[in-house]
Amino acid sequence: MLDYVGLEADLGEEERLIRDTARDFVEDKVRPDIADHWQDATFPTEIIEEMGALGFYAPNLDGYDLPNVSEKAYGLLMQELEACDSGVRSMASVQGALVMYPIHAFGSDAQKDEWLPKLGHGEAVGCFGLTEPNHGSNPSAMETHAEADGDGYVLNGSKTWITNSPIADVAVVWAKDRSDDENPVRGFLVETDKAGVTTNKIDDKLSLRASITGEIALDDVHVDADDVLPHVRGMKGPLSCLTQARFGIAWGAVGAAQDCFETALEYATDREQFGQPIGGFQLQQRKLAEMATQITNAQLLAHRLADLKERGDLRPQHVSMAKRNNVRMARETAKTAREMLGGNGITGDYSPMRHMANIETVYTYEGTHDIHTLILGEDLTGIAAFE
Amino acid sequence: MKVLVTVKEVAAVEDEFEIDGTAIDEAYLEYDLNEWDDYAIEEGVQISESEDDVEVVSVTIGPERSEETIRMALAKGADRAVRVWDDSLEDAEMLDVEAKTNLLAAVVEEEEPDLVLSGVQADDDGFGATGVSLADEVGFEWAAVVNDLELDVEGGVASVRRELEGGVEELTDVDLPAVLTIQTGINEPRYASLRGIRQAQRKEIKPMTLDDLGLSADVAESDLEIVDMYEPETESDATLFEGSPDETAGQLAEVLRDGGVGQ
Ligand SMILES: Cc1cc2nc3c(=O)[nH]c(=O)nc-3n(C[C@H](O)[C@H](O)[C@H](O)COP(=O)(O)OP(=O)(O)OC[C@H]3O[C@@H](n4cnc5c(N)ncnc54)[C@H](O)[C@@H]3O)c2cc1C
Repeated sequence: MLDYVGLEADLGEEERLIRDTARDFVEDKVRPDIADHWQDATFPTEIIEEMGALGFYAPNLDGYDLPNVSEKAYGLLMQELEACDSGVRSMASVQGALVMYPIHAFGSDAQKDEWLPKLGHGEAVGCFGLTEPNHGSNPSAMETHAEADGDGYVLNGSKTWITNSPIADVAVVWAKDRSDDENPVRGFLVETDKAGVTTNKIDDKLSLRASITGEIALDDVHVDADDVLPHVRGMKGPLSCLTQARFGIAWGAVGAAQDCFETALEYATDREQFGQPIGGFQLQQRKLAEMATQITNAQLLAHRLADLKERGDLRPQHVSMAKRNNVRMARETAKTAREMLGGNGITGDYSPMRHMANIETVYTYEGTHDIHTLILGEDLTGIAAFE
Repeated sequence: MKVLVTVKEVAAVEDEFEIDGTAIDEAYLEYDLNEWDDYAIEEGVQISESEDDVEVVSVTIGPERSEETIRMALAKGADRAVRVWDDSLEDAEMLDVEAKTNLLAAVVEEEEPDLVLSGVQADDDGFGATGVSLADEVGFEWAAVVNDLELDVEGGVASVRRELEGGVEELTDVDLPAVLTIQTGINEPRYASLRGIRQAQRKEIKPMTLDDLGLSADVAESDLEIVDMYEPETESDATLFEGSPDETAGQLAEVLRDGGVGQ
């Protein structure tokens, strides 16, 4: 895939092996059927355990039989998965960054022992419930709440747009603890087979179709006191997970764009009109030059982000900038690549339009493009436009 | 029990390339683990998973760059590795079957494996002879083009199925110690997991020079010489049949008959 300034030539051996493993796996096991899954609105569930066996979930975490690879290796993995389909990367992001990460960072030893090995090996599936029907960009206004009850809590409320909720074994549900004076947001591990939990599937999506999305309805659901993530209170809990996931998205967007670019380049050098390959015309060359430049910029940002994260200097605002920039770049690239494929470009035989539709979700979830603009605006001016 | 798996980093040529003298210009080469060796590694690792006390040692002949390839073998489950290299090997224009045989024979002497698994052939130079030649040199039993293997460790016998020409298969029992050259399709090679790749960083790749192996520089000398490297003329001779299926089938039959097929 496009690596115009040779960033990957400087990778360490371990990172290169990880990239190659991910690339081979995707090529052999996922790519051949992904367009059909997308058309059918199904996820290739057989790869859930395979990806677990390969260590694709939360590979940058330590202990619990997790690989503990570098942040760059983790980023490259996300890049390779999303080069196939954003739905595949979403599976790994949700399981690793949104479910395993909070358990790893904020969970009790018992919670970690119980869940991390199972989730890491893909023997259990997790989901992350933050968004609600009436609260998307502003989750701190959430209505889902917990009330102390005997030896635990009772949860009520509803979450929506939750990736994997219909197939999840456990949900990390963020809810306000009304029995606490400060009414803080707390994280609860809710097994989805509990009485009072329903996880309806959302049908008819026109984006991220090869990914299962649903709701989580909580109707007097009893959880034990042991099911609360003990070591976090407030919005820092969900937001810190999102920083992990967005880091992966900044890398993943590069992968999706690289795949669009490669497809367009190959097509432009093959397809002939007016007696020559369409890639021989200046208008098409400009598109290719622009795409390659923007992908390279985004790739540079992603690599820099990994270095900052590795040495502990990464701020959430850095991640906002990269998520915002790289996803916008992928959105533009997918559109341009689609356009270069002419009529063939609107079919499922070529990846760009599938990526293009997927990116609409990626542009929206994990903080919309607008919201990241406001985060950067606040960081630059010191004035919050959204409070 | 010890299993020695020979692996090679092979060069793959890009679609567009240039020839530089008697070699392909480095700029157009990418290096990867030889496909057949991937199956040999898998076979070795499967043996170590199904039997007690099996050590899988991987050996390669190659420059430092090839550590990445051999690390892949470690990531897939080999326990440790040996990498043979030396300035005099670096200087040699080509390492022929004899040279590789002598180098690997010295490693076999050092490691004393019960079983050596090699690939049937290498994807680049394609001599397809190293495994069997090694067996001959070290006096091991051997079987080539093995596509099924059952091991009786206690009895010291490998029951193998070999792929012969024309779709014929042969079942043979081979006494250990033995060299088996492994055919693709014998198993389904695993992907290296991220856990495996991490662990592989801590596994040993022991560098060995000719001195270490008690060999002298003339081991690299070869009776073979590459005299030329060129792209063969490509000829395409396509016949397009037109008409109904009936007609085209008839035309095809005629061509096949003329070509000597199905008389
Ligand atoms: C396929 C899919 C999967 C998802 N998976 C998950 C998941 O696993 N878990 C989870 O919790 N959520 C998930 N989400 C939800 C996602 O995070 C939300 O959709 C997102 O946060 C936006 O919320 P919203 O849809 O309510 O839009 P809204 O917040 O209503 O935004 C609508 C529009 O208004 C703009 N806007 C909002 N506020 C402002 C402002 N202050 N200034 C300017 N413009 C503003 C937004 O940018 C947007 O353009 C998923 C979404 C999708 C589509």
